[in-house]
Amino acid sequence: MSEEVIFFRTAAEDVHINERELAARLKTNVGFENEILDKCRKKLMESLDYKCAYIRCPVGLSQENVCDFGFMTIKSKSLYKNLLGCSEAFVIAVTTGIAVDRLLVRLNAVSQAEHYMTDALSSAAVESFCDYACDKISAGINCANRFSPGYGDVSIEFQKPLLTRLNAQRLLGITLNQAYLMTPVKSITAIMGIRQEQG
Amino acid sequence: MKKITDVIKERRVYFDGGTGTVLQSMGLPAGQPPELWNISEPEKIIGLHRSYLDAGCDIIKTNTFGINRNKFDNYDELIKAGIECARKAVGDREDKYIAFDMGPTGRLLEPLGDLPFEEAVSIFADNVKVAAQCGADLVLIETMNDSLETKAAVLAVKENSGLPVFVTNVYDAGGKLMTGASPAAMISLLEGLRVDALGMNCSLGPDIMLNIIGKFAKYSSVPVIVNPNAGLPEVRDGQTVYNIGAEDFSDYMIRLAESGACILGGCCGTTPEFIRRTVEKTIDLPYSYPEEKSCTLVSSYTHAVEIGNDPILIGERINPTGKPKLKEALRSGDLGYILNEAIRQSDAGVHILDVNVGLPEIDETEMMLKSVAAIQSVTDLPLQIDTTNSDTLSAAMRIYNGKPLVNSVNGTEESMNKVLPVVQRYGGGLIALTIDEKGIPDNAQDRVKIAEKIIERAAEYGIQKKDIIVDPLALTISSNPESAIVTLEAVRLLGEIGVKTSLGISNISFGLPQRELITSTFYANALGRGLNCAIMNPFSEAMMNTYYAYRALNMLDKGCTDYIGYASAKQSTGKQEVKDSRPESLHTCIVKGLKEGAVKHAGMLLKTVQPLDIINGHIVPALNEIGTAFENKKAYLPQLLMSAEAASAAFEEVKKGISSEKEDSRKAIVLATVKGDIHDIGKNIVKVLMESYGFNVYDLGRDVPPEKIRDCVLEKNCRLVGLSALMTTTVPAMAETIELLKKTDSSITVMVGGAVLTQEYADMIGADFYGADAMDSVRYAEKFYESV
Repeated sequence: MSEEVIFFRTAAEDVHINERELAARLKTNVGFENEILDKCRKKLMESLDYKCAYIRCPVGLSQENVCDFGFMTIKSKSLYKNLLGCSEAFVIAVTTGIAVDRLLVRLNAVSQAEHYMTDALSSAAVESFCDYACDKISAGINCANRFSPGYGDVSIEFQKPLLTRLNAQRLLGITLNQAYLMTPVKSITAIMGIRQEQG
Repeated sequence: MKKITDVIKERRVYFDGGTGTVLQSMGLPAGQPPELWNISEPEKIIGLHRSYLDAGCDIIKTNTFGINRNKFDNYDELIKAGIECARKAVGDREDKYIAFDMGPTGRLLEPLGDLPFEEAVSIFADNVKVAAQCGADLVLIETMNDSLETKAAVLAVKENSGLPVFVTNVYDAGGKLMTGASPAAMISLLEGLRVDALGMNCSLGPDIMLNIIGKFAKYSSVPVIVNPNAGLPEVRDGQTVYNIGAEDFSDYMIRLAESGACILGGCCGTTPEFIRRTVEKTIDLPYSYPEEKSCTLVSSYTHAVEIGNDPILIGERINPTGKPKLKEALRSGDLGYILNEAIRQSDAGVHILDVNVGLPEIDETEMMLKSVAAIQSVTDLPLQIDTTNSDTLSAAMRIYNGKPLVNSVNGTEESMNKVLPVVQRYGGGLIALTIDEKGIPDNAQDRVKIAEKIIERAAEYGIQKKDIIVDPLALTISSNPESAIVTLEAVRLLGEIGVKTSLGISNISFGLPQRELITSTFYANALGRGLNCAIMNPFSEAMMNTYYAYRALNMLDKGCTDYIGYASAKQSTGKQEVKDSRPESLHTCIVKGLKEGAVKHAGMLLKTVQPLDIINGHIVPALNEIGTAFENKKAYLPQLLMSAEAASAAFEEVKKGISSEKEDSRKAIVLATVKGDIHDIGKNIVKVLMESYGFNVYDLGRDVPPEKIRDCVLEKNCRLVGLSALMTTTVPAMAETIELLKKTDSSITVMVGGAVLTQEYADMIGADFYGADAMDSVRYAEKFYESV
């Protein structure tokens, strides 16, 4: 099949921010609340512009510990193990949009407390959106857990071919700096193996 | 052959369509850069161009979108080959043009990204030099997501060729660029840079562009380009297809042409068939070159501010005249103070921020560049660059993200000769003061004459009357009794001849008691005479009252919505003060993290308690209480930070009562995130806590080289240093820094912290102390100064 990149946006209110993820980022217990956190959450909601781009592509695993996606080949034990049993994969990138970066820069100049809480909220938000996007993309399909460059023995340098393939600058506004870190800072790339249908 | 810039004056012209989709159908593997085919498969590229020329387009885009020196070592050969393919495809066809196609660099510019502005200009410049040599007819800068990168590209073309420049940006469904700019913001920026045509490409499809085209038609005085995608790719019956076909696409193009689009073409997913049908359906539609728009726009990286009937407030607070705190901040290079003033004025409701950082003892250009970049990273208001130094002005206008206001030019030959060429080059609104070699005329008519002279001279530089905002100068009535009357008359006369006006309002009351009364009444009078802009203090309640009331009274505030919002906010602030009278103390406010309450109680205590006793008897015990709760896991980090901020705010209040000699003996620490590491959240948390405990913190920021830390230690004579690192890869930089510091002076004490560090690591790299968390660091620093 053709491998055009599919793109979609999601409204901020359609994604529930995972409370466990948030507590872990805030270093609090689950359900921690206070007025400032509430205020930060409201402000963040106005800045969120969730976007996702993905392709479905074949994966070659013919050589041990080598994963061939056509547009990039990753030598890795951990990804190979993750993809075992898959002949195709979704390659995904998601982002909160750059308004979140601007909000964080501004808060950094105004209040460390609000900056810290908004940073935690936005990290939890992009993780939650990535889960949401993966669920949406893989509805009815049996998939492996999502796996990102930087996990295990996969270098973050693979961000480059992956983002290029997804046309991520054009569609999502994601760029890499020279240390291979993404802007907008709250962005995630992932590979999600598709397990062969049984029967 | 006619120049393309002449052709667009007479008739509609057409770009070609998409490249990737067509080349993939010719066998280009997904993920492979199409530009490589310029050399390896030139016949196919020539074929692509020919198919578009056969479909009826006038301009073909070279297959060079992704080429630059960062992506391809042989960028120059690829460009040459790309233009050669286009040249061969055109052959001897008449009136066909080759646009050298230039896409984004692939990196984001500072401050959010890591690409310096001048490096971006230089990357584009290298491309442009090759293209100009190879005989391209124009440059198309396309698919730009970011306003500042667009500016870098346009400057590169202007400074390295005489070629016409067309620019198209990518707008999303909300009608904004990925980094935030609206069409009006881009139009004002690009017209200021004097591009020949501008518009949009790619994006989501022609349907979305129909929602945005109205803005272009309203504001643009140059032809508007529309090169949409064939909609969006979607999965249909297991196949991925673009969701708009050639027939629907060309129908949309009719509507876009009727709505003001002058130059039509296609982007991703479009093919020669899309262009053929578009040409067929639109070629006979009536065509007119856009008329000159009369609106005065200045812009930031998100939006344009229109200077017209609705009064504009320009915040005056970032100007060292008469502000000792700002002077001190400028001397010590403390941008934090400036940023806070920017944010406070923005929150107070101004539309534009004046930025003046001139002090005789500092490098004004360097400070202006830093300030403009930093202020633009925390607020999206357009800036008014305020300087008498034309080098400073030029440097600041160059890197400014948008079209700024410039403060100012005056009627002297010297001023006009220096300022006008700079504004001509970078584009900007220009404040013109009615003063010349003979001084300020004592009557309104002569002030208007100076204004007319400046306007005439500016026209020689291509600067339009609409971009000149005349300030007929308000002088204090305490020494010039007629001043208000003359100035108000000048405002009226200027309005009559269609010239926009601005006034530095506050001057009028200089030397008088209760200045706000005079200033705000003068402002009301000036508004009545048609004043457009006021450079003013937005923290003056009387001024803001006048502003909101005037707009409500003059039908500028529909349904009085803004006025009601303003008035009810004032009422609710009043209520809160009543609520705040519940029994609470400085201690409880700090423990609960209530900043405003803490400041209020500190102020109250100051009346009866010695400042140092407030610190030691109230602030520190409260901080210790929350600190201990945090250490015992009874409070969380967010709460600790809120308390620290409340304590810092109280501390600032108390400091007002401490004499400066005592202040100098305060405890101090140099903080930095080490070289190579950009994660500074941990360091910032330590900073806030340290400050709340009364430490004087010299914060060097992130990614700091060892030498800079050493220099600061020596300069400030501060023997305590805190270093942070988050990534394992930057721990060696930490070791290097410690080694340098110890070599400089073995008595320098270094504490370290950060996610990757452990006690073992800290010992290994020779640190004196490892802080597991922020409280730990404070406790150690306190002990350090007790033992000294």
